[in-house]
Amino acid sequence: MYNYDAIVIGAGHNGLTTAAYLAKAGKKVLVLERRHVLGGAAVTEEIYPGFKYSVCSYVVSLLRPEVIRELELPKYDLEIIPLDSTFTPLPDGDHLLRSGDHAQTRREIARHSTTDAEAYEQYGQLMVQMAMAVKPLLGMIPPDPTTWNPKDLLGLARVGNHFRGLGEKLLYDLTKLMTASSADFLDEWFETDALKATMSASGIIGTFMGPRSPGTAYVLLHHYMGELDGAFRSWGFARGGMGTISRVIADAARHHGAEIKTQAGVDRVLVRNGRAYGVALDSGEEFEAKVIVSGVDPKRTFLKMVGTSHLDADFFKQVSDYKIRGSSAKVNLALDALPNFTSMPGKGPHLAGAISISPSLDYIEQAYDDAKYGNFSRRPYMDIILPSMLDPSMAPPGKHVMSIFVQYAPYHLKSGTWTEQRDAFGDTVVETLSEYAPNLKDIILHRQIVTPWDLEQEFGLTEGNIFQGELTLDQLFFLRPVPGWAKYRTPIKNLYMCGACTHPGGGVMAASGRLAALEILKDTNRTLL
Amino acid sequence: MQSYDAIVIGAGHNGLVTAAYLAKADKKVLVVERRPVVGGIVASEEIFSGFKYSSCAHSAGSFSTQVIDDLKLKKHGLELLPFNPLLFAPALDGDSLTITRDMGVTAEQIGRHSKSDAGKFSSFCLRLKALSAFLSTIYRLPLPNKAEPGSFNPAALVKIGWKFHRLGKKEMYEFLRVLPMSAADLVDEWFENDLLKAAVASGGMLGSFVGPRQQGTAFNLLHHQIGESNGALRTAGFVRGGMGNLSQALARAAQQLGVEIRTNAEIIKVITKNRAATGVVLHNGEEVNASSVISNADVKRTFFKLVEPTYLDPHFLLQVRNIRSRGVVAKINLALDGLPKFKNHQTAALGGIIHIGPTLDYLERTADDAKYGRFSTQPFLEITIPSIADPSLAPAGKHVMSVWMQSAPYKLRAGTWESQRDALGDAVMKVIGDYAPGFENSVLHRQVLTPLDLEDSYGLTGGHLYHAEMALDQIFFMRPVPGWSRYHTPIDNLFLCGSGTHPGGGITGLPGYYAAKTVLKSRARGK
Repeated sequence: MYNYDAIVIGAGHNGLTTAAYLAKAGKKVLVLERRHVLGGAAVTEEIYPGFKYSVCSYVVSLLRPEVIRELELPKYDLEIIPLDSTFTPLPDGDHLLRSGDHAQTRREIARHSTTDAEAYEQYGQLMVQMAMAVKPLLGMIPPDPTTWNPKDLLGLARVGNHFRGLGEKLLYDLTKLMTASSADFLDEWFETDALKATMSASGIIGTFMGPRSPGTAYVLLHHYMGELDGAFRSWGFARGGMGTISRVIADAARHHGAEIKTQAGVDRVLVRNGRAYGVALDSGEEFEAKVIVSGVDPKRTFLKMVGTSHLDADFFKQVSDYKIRGSSAKVNLALDALPNFTSMPGKGPHLAGAISISPSLDYIEQAYDDAKYGNFSRRPYMDIILPSMLDPSMAPPGKHVMSIFVQYAPYHLKSGTWTEQRDAFGDTVVETLSEYAPNLKDIILHRQIVTPWDLEQEFGLTEGNIFQGELTLDQLFFLRPVPGWAKYRTPIKNLYMCGACTHPGGGVMAASGRLAALEILKDTNRTLL
Repeated sequence: MQSYDAIVIGAGHNGLVTAAYLAKADKKVLVVERRPVVGGIVASEEIFSGFKYSSCAHSAGSFSTQVIDDLKLKKHGLELLPFNPLLFAPALDGDSLTITRDMGVTAEQIGRHSKSDAGKFSSFCLRLKALSAFLSTIYRLPLPNKAEPGSFNPAALVKIGWKFHRLGKKEMYEFLRVLPMSAADLVDEWFENDLLKAAVASGGMLGSFVGPRQQGTAFNLLHHQIGESNGALRTAGFVRGGMGNLSQALARAAQQLGVEIRTNAEIIKVITKNRAATGVVLHNGEEVNASSVISNADVKRTFFKLVEPTYLDPHFLLQVRNIRSRGVVAKINLALDGLPKFKNHQTAALGGIIHIGPTLDYLERTADDAKYGRFSTQPFLEITIPSIADPSLAPAGKHVMSVWMQSAPYKLRAGTWESQRDALGDAVMKVIGDYAPGFENSVLHRQVLTPLDLEDSYGLTGGHLYHAEMALDQIFFMRPVPGWSRYHTPIDNLFLCGSGTHPGGGITGLPGYYAAKTVLKSRARGK
């Protein structure tokens, strides 16, 4: 009766992951992607001939090892090259350079503060312990704390027990981490401003918060939980760009029989009697399936594709209240040569890692203040990499691509539109970076600016929020995306969610995609569909 | 040498509560107070002849009704007067919002700004009332405590779990969701009118280092609504005769129960022997013995000024040092020649809270100032004119005005508070004058208390009125430091009872009450 067992809306990395797992379990799966390329925000595109941009996401660290293993991703040529360092140039010509070489990093930090060098060791150890403590939650279906259902109570008991087993001190440290601001948390450990600023920056990525905002210390941990080659905290670059990750997951899905169509944008989810039974494309074409999985955020899914007539008032309010304010932008550059940083002139290993424009906590906080009142940051925070330094295939010989992640760029501007402000924003980014690398303007061959508006229009991310919803404490775990619906299911029967708007949240993890697939399989096996 | 069952360091409102409850259980109690009067920041002073200022705190609406009843405070002269109206929020253009005790009248008032907001206001109040009621229930939950390992009672958890479920599914989720939220996001979910949103959300930033757009401020809002409240706003708070009467009533109740109170007496050291407190040393060298010593001073002062560090674990001291207690409030007390004339002359609306903070952005910007170490020249002001409800506070036709101002950060990046005090006072005058033309001409006398003045006069480290910030990582079992959240300290027989302990500040009397219970329980156990 149905064409397919499952239709997945959107070929983002989570949607592709769900498709791969379902196909692997023998289901007949169709993935429908609006764009002409796969990957959603994990995508490589040759916008300027010869230069490959990781248009949106640019590093990977949190990709779940069980996904890599279970889908056998290395078989499809997945190679991740570690990003070994973070270089923070300072306005006075000095710099801070941390790397995977512990001894070197210690010496470098000691150059700024000897007590910080001591503390850095202990801090790293504590963060690893806490990452290990929280890790099991990433792979867990959030239990419902409001029900007497034995399975959920068991789940809650397991969570409770797990935390009790950590011991008192770690438990308190974890509580502090979950509730404090990254600045306050780091103030207790370090004194060097540039060090604190660079570290706290990972606490604010993708959020609408500043380093002094409570709840940002938690995100510090989120980005610490990477498991590249068993080494926590390593970030890496996928050879061929972020699109490689999506491509290999798509290859795995196809290998198991999934069908993937591009330029096939879904306009509506077809619902009858509270049950989803198919989708209708922009073109009018319809497909039917026993199960529909949306890889798209809840606002787009429910308010656009399902339609409010199928939602009860409470759920509609909850989805409307879901906070999804975008604050990030990307500027991708094609360069004729390497940028020359005053703080560390010439070519060097510092250009093969991350470059962080985060000279002080005030700097980042002021960048955030601008956004709070509806302006893009006059002096933005930037997280930069030169993929071509690690993977020469990304640009012609001797030339380079530069990926600049920028905050803050609020989706809602107080005056004007993003279309009007795009160039001014790009100019601000280039001007600011030029203060650190004065040759920049002379070497730019091409500039691509991806504003929150573009993230929404082109990549389907409502309000340009890169995590399909803010990672604030009131929208995490059993509260994500909305209370009562944290297990990938929705009020519409046979309609599921698998994107970053579900637990465990954003970042290129594929965790949501996998967990959603497992829940779907549980349901379909139960009903013997 | 004199000997007591218990000595309380400081006669702040919590210290007096602790002393009274201990005396009620037949303990011989001495309270030692550095200042000439009791009450700490809950005090009244006649600095300018004929006018009685409530020195710091200006609302007692959150004070525990249980303590009021147990200690018979009404008999000892405590009378709480209602706010009427609850709140008046003027806008610069002369428009305003008034919220009264009557939901019907209030709906009409709000309806002038937004019909949809008017329709939702009473449900909002009910929702918040239920949430803050549950919050006060969990405040009673026994917290983990290193001095009594294994005392964290799973049975209590089950009881709380049961009460939690009784809330109903929707309310349960609401509680979990709202607790960590920002006050701004909370009001944004319900309302559209800026003036209304700001008037409600500001309750979440009282004493807070961060503004209403930051997480944790919804918790603060709920915390401050425990007690006399309609859910969203406090309904009572004036004390007849001035705030000091609350402390006086507590002192009278305590004394009637047998407590001895000495003022103008300062404790300079807690005497410790073998890791246990045995008494105190006064400023005149006098030593007094006690089986228990309870400190109402803030935690940093207690451990860095009063206790020998020898017995304290360096990790514990580090945690105490890391307690964030950055004062952000300045207090301005004024004697006025008449009532301020807000544009459109609404003197009838001035009998409750007068709220200067017309938008969420305005409030957020005042918190930004604190971050960068400067005081706000466009501050958030919570103002009361208690002489309207209680004419005894000022001569006929004249008034006292109490202004709570944010932000005035304890640590200034440029200049000192000595040199900036007047500039702050002037800024506050100017801003009030922007809403009430001619205001500056009616001021007969002005007292400005900067965070530094609060520290110097009242012994508050960092000038923080709640002893320690009420941030998400400094509440419940994290307050004052993780592992020591039940009034015990690493020194045997030394306890804490001030606002720096659970459940925190806001003049509830609860820290004092729970501390007393803890002391009695540990005494009963023979420690």
